[in-house]
Amino acid sequence: MSKQAGKGGAAGKGKKPTKPGADDKREDSLQAVIIADYFQDRFKPFTQDTPRCLLPLVNTPAIDYTLEYLASNGVNDVFIYCGAHSEAIETYIEESSRWRPGSPISPFQTLEFIRVSDATSVGDFLRDLDKRSLISGDFVLVHGDLVSNIPLDPIITKHRARREANRDACMTVVLRSVGEEPHRAAKARGITPVFHIDAKDSRILQYEETHPLQSDRNVLVDIALFKHSSVEQRADLIDCGIDICTPDVLALWSESFDYELPRKNFLHGVLKDWELNGKLIYSEIVEEGYGARASNLQMYDCISKDILGRWTFPFVPTSNLMHDQTYRRKGNSDLENNVLVNGGSQVIRSVIGSSTTVESGSTITKSVIGRRCKIGKNVKIENSYIFDDTVIGDGTTVIHSIIAGSVVIGENCHVPEGSLISYSVQIDSGIQLPAKPTVRLAIKDDNGDDVDNDVSLVGPGGKGANYQALVDEDESEDEDEEGDRDPTVILNSLVYSREGFNLSTESLSTLASDSEYDSDEDEEHGGYLHPGDGARERLSSFTSDDAGKSDAFHSDAVNGLVDALRSDDNDDFDGAKLEFMGLRLANNASDNSMRRAIAIAFVKRASELLNPEHGALEPTKAAEKALTAKKGALKFIREVGVGGEDVKQQSEFALAVQKGLVGIKGLETGRAGTLLAAMLQQLYNLDVLEEDGILAWWVDKRADEGESMTKVKEKCRVLVEWLENADEEESSEDEDSD
Amino acid sequence: MAPSQAAYAPSLDKLVKSLKGNNLEQSIEALIFLLKRRQVQGDDCAIATAHILLQVVARSKWRDVDQLLGRIQNAGARLARAAPNEPVIGNIVRRVLGLIRDEASEERNADDLGSETASEIQSLAPSNPPPQAPQRPPPVPLMNRSSTMATGLPVSKSMFNLLSVANSDTPMTGASTPLSQAQGASVHSLRSEVIDGIEEIMDEIQQADDQIAGFADIQIHPGEFILAYQPTKTVERFLIKAASKRKFTVLIASIEPPHPGAADAPYAALRKKLNSHGVTTISLASNGLMAYIPRVNKVVFGAKAVYQNGGLLVDSGACIAAEAARDFLKPVIVLSPIYKFCPEDPSDESVVGELGNPSTFVGYDSGPQVDELEVENTVTDYIPPALVDVYITNLGPQTRHHFASILADHYKVEDIGYSLHDGEI
Repeated sequence: MSKQAGKGGAAGKGKKPTKPGADDKREDSLQAVIIADYFQDRFKPFTQDTPRCLLPLVNTPAIDYTLEYLASNGVNDVFIYCGAHSEAIETYIEESSRWRPGSPISPFQTLEFIRVSDATSVGDFLRDLDKRSLISGDFVLVHGDLVSNIPLDPIITKHRARREANRDACMTVVLRSVGEEPHRAAKARGITPVFHIDAKDSRILQYEETHPLQSDRNVLVDIALFKHSSVEQRADLIDCGIDICTPDVLALWSESFDYELPRKNFLHGVLKDWELNGKLIYSEIVEEGYGARASNLQMYDCISKDILGRWTFPFVPTSNLMHDQTYRRKGNSDLENNVLVNGGSQVIRSVIGSSTTVESGSTITKSVIGRRCKIGKNVKIENSYIFDDTVIGDGTTVIHSIIAGSVVIGENCHVPEGSLISYSVQIDSGIQLPAKPTVRLAIKDDNGDDVDNDVSLVGPGGKGANYQALVDEDESEDEDEEGDRDPTVILNSLVYSREGFNLSTESLSTLASDSEYDSDEDEEHGGYLHPGDGARERLSSFTSDDAGKSDAFHSDAVNGLVDALRSDDNDDFDGAKLEFMGLRLANNASDNSMRRAIAIAFVKRASELLNPEHGALEPTKAAEKALTAKKGALKFIREVGVGGEDVKQQSEFALAVQKGLVGIKGLETGRAGTLLAAMLQQLYNLDVLEEDGILAWWVDKRADEGESMTKVKEKCRVLVEWLENADEEESSEDEDSD
Repeated sequence: MAPSQAAYAPSLDKLVKSLKGNNLEQSIEALIFLLKRRQVQGDDCAIATAHILLQVVARSKWRDVDQLLGRIQNAGARLARAAPNEPVIGNIVRRVLGLIRDEASEERNADDLGSETASEIQSLAPSNPPPQAPQRPPPVPLMNRSSTMATGLPVSKSMFNLLSVANSDTPMTGASTPLSQAQGASVHSLRSEVIDGIEEIMDEIQQADDQIAGFADIQIHPGEFILAYQPTKTVERFLIKAASKRKFTVLIASIEPPHPGAADAPYAALRKKLNSHGVTTISLASNGLMAYIPRVNKVVFGAKAVYQNGGLLVDSGACIAAEAARDFLKPVIVLSPIYKFCPEDPSDESVVGELGNPSTFVGYDSGPQVDELEVENTVTDYIPPALVDVYITNLGPQTRHHFASILADHYKVEDIGYSLHDGEI
């Protein structure tokens, strides 16, 4: 299934003898896990051959920033998980004199690659890590595209203090506040994480995500949050993707086999279920330092600008973090050795790699140019990123674009804002690339085959064509059209633009009031009862996936129970019960949804028995048979379905039964009412429901919602009156006996 | 305080502790990256360099003096390149190079006196000069000049020396030819001599602040108002020492903390100590210090480096204080240990100043400012020599007219010409 590159391990052994006392220190060594694959194609077509973490970020591969950051925090052991392009990353590390495992100058004791061949998500990586038991204590989980200078020591200290106070404090998430007024980093995120944080102990209580394309930007706040005395809802945080974790976190990943993303699935899910798993996750909001991930092209742009502006100090070009770099500050730019800038050219706030020549009359502003590039005469380059070995002809203008390595652009071309030109593309002289829609040129498609040259785009002598993602060709065509609600549309382009998107600017959060919350749940679990109720619209996209999960639970549970009730060969209900409880845990279903599922299952069975093919039983008989045919079924209803002696719970169950009957197709209302009365009477006779519960249901307003509900209910009047009388008799008897 | 303090971040202390366990290359690289990441900076650079060079002498393989010099130059150049804004590193490298040359020539003199004939015969054997040729790269023209100068120094009285200089057509190097005989026992003794010498340099570095503080009571008089601009450790010690003998007033000027009320007021520890001696302290924001200059008697600050023209490399902002003092004709006193005196002129970059993290002045959370402003935070300033009146070194107060002799005392001429920044890897 998976295979481990064993080189790292051997290297570790080779090195230990040189460090006396390494074994003693072992316990106190810091481990880090780098996730170097993201299962996204936001950087396509640049990432066709080069993994994202090797894309140059101001002329230094992104993973170097990450590794250097870990080294600057004294990390001892590094595990790198890579998926796509794992060979490229491994080769890069093997060839680097500094990071190569076993290199005498490596700051890490061990650096291991772990390949998981069948991984499809970050979650698969972490579940794999859990199996390997490589992690001995607290560890740092980062991504391979992280640029940060936030010192970890104080954060780890706090994390430990919390963990020692409470063993369940399993994770600390590092967040950087970016202030209330959004600037480029906040905009570039694409997805806005919304953290609900206990202001006193900075525990994260709820996590949601929103993005500007959502039809409704409201966040549903869990009512349980208000048990805390002070809660902050913050959308002004950049998620640095740095997590301090205990091994418990990995166990949590393993428990939830379907979690894929560390934030949207894992963090959201674990917080939602914290009553179940009891795990606490804390946040560390840093006000100083820099931390961000080049997670999309806009973040790439933003981080590059921040590096140029030295916000990432000391991780700036003039620090020459890589061995062969020779950046020095000249004027207001950072140039490497052997950069030739001819007279009459201007280089303003830019970074230029070695052996690049800039001919006379050119202007380069706020741009990054790689090594061995040739920039012609009278060229204008603004806010652009040009990788190594690229040639730009005389008189060409490049504005806010990314041009990868070995590209040749002819003379007097115009590359407008937002253009993405991948490796080895050639553009003929005199070409004006279209500004809208922006181009995304590549010479290969996703299968690695050469594309047919698009002469209209690159000219007769050119090479390359517009890149189309394999999976969603249709989508990429109407990228700029309205109505596309996928946030990746924003994430995939270099230039942040909301143009063409219909965005609302209403306030972000809605407090879920009690009744709203309930009706939402009704919607989720018994959605077919009230088609078009309108509550569904209030659910934003992130809760809808949750709703999907509950729906799955509901149908699975009902089908399982009905099958068990139908089966003739097995009189025992315990198996079904076990299965049901398993389903419930897996989906973390609420008590309400369980109650509904059980009620509906039994109602279904009872109504089936009314049909001719099952014997066309009388409603009373049918109800009795459905409830008592299987041993343990009654006990199951009593314990799980109703859940207690409480009047409220009993009335809820009665309501669920009623709703279930109304919802069954092909059952006319009159018969449904009769069956309901029969069911309730059976349940009463069998001591599952008590008269108080049924009476409470009788007066419950929800039982009267809608015409059919009232009709069905009317049929029970006799039963209720009888119950009321019986009650009176009983009490009078009681009085008598006294 | 049950939970343990996490201290994983590498530091100089950890490096020094691990020197014995690590191999040499590992130690050098570790320091290089500590320097690059600014985890070692300022005054720590000198002692860190000395530690590493000590390891180079003690643990690298070398058969003769030239080889040792080459190793030191190589390691030194790498360290200096890692932190081009810390000229002190180069100074320490030059000091160690000079030390090796001294020890070698002493040894050779001893040899020459003891067995002049033997050495003469030995060295006349033709096989001896060639082995040293590949050990160092062809020297740059600059070094040729310095080597001829070297021969002008009274390094050796040996007859052979004169001959070899005149006759040898192998490239000349800083150390003169016969040193290659320093082998076997003499390598061993040279090694220990040099190690002792480096340890002396380390002692000097560590004691410099105390020695400078010893001159405090001569410079500071009772009742004076002293402006201390962003006091360094050297200045702090100086003031505390003076406070133990004199009653005066200290104005501490500093950049305001970026987040008001974030941490302690700046220099709280210093103020506490001064107050305990009965010295009044006043805190100033650096932009307001001009108004206080008329009241001040002296301006004191520490230097990161002193160039041979008398110019200073200082923490940013000190230049304003010096200019202000100049306008009001107040004396400017600079505290700088001898090891910070550089036998070179300031580079263009150091005159412009090093750029640091803009977040000192504009937080990353200040929204539109991050987008719209270009914030350049220079963390170092260059102060031209004309603004400085007195340099207080660990050897006593100096003026810049005596720099030439100070530098000549501490550095060998042949090392001064050696440019650390362009050296080979």
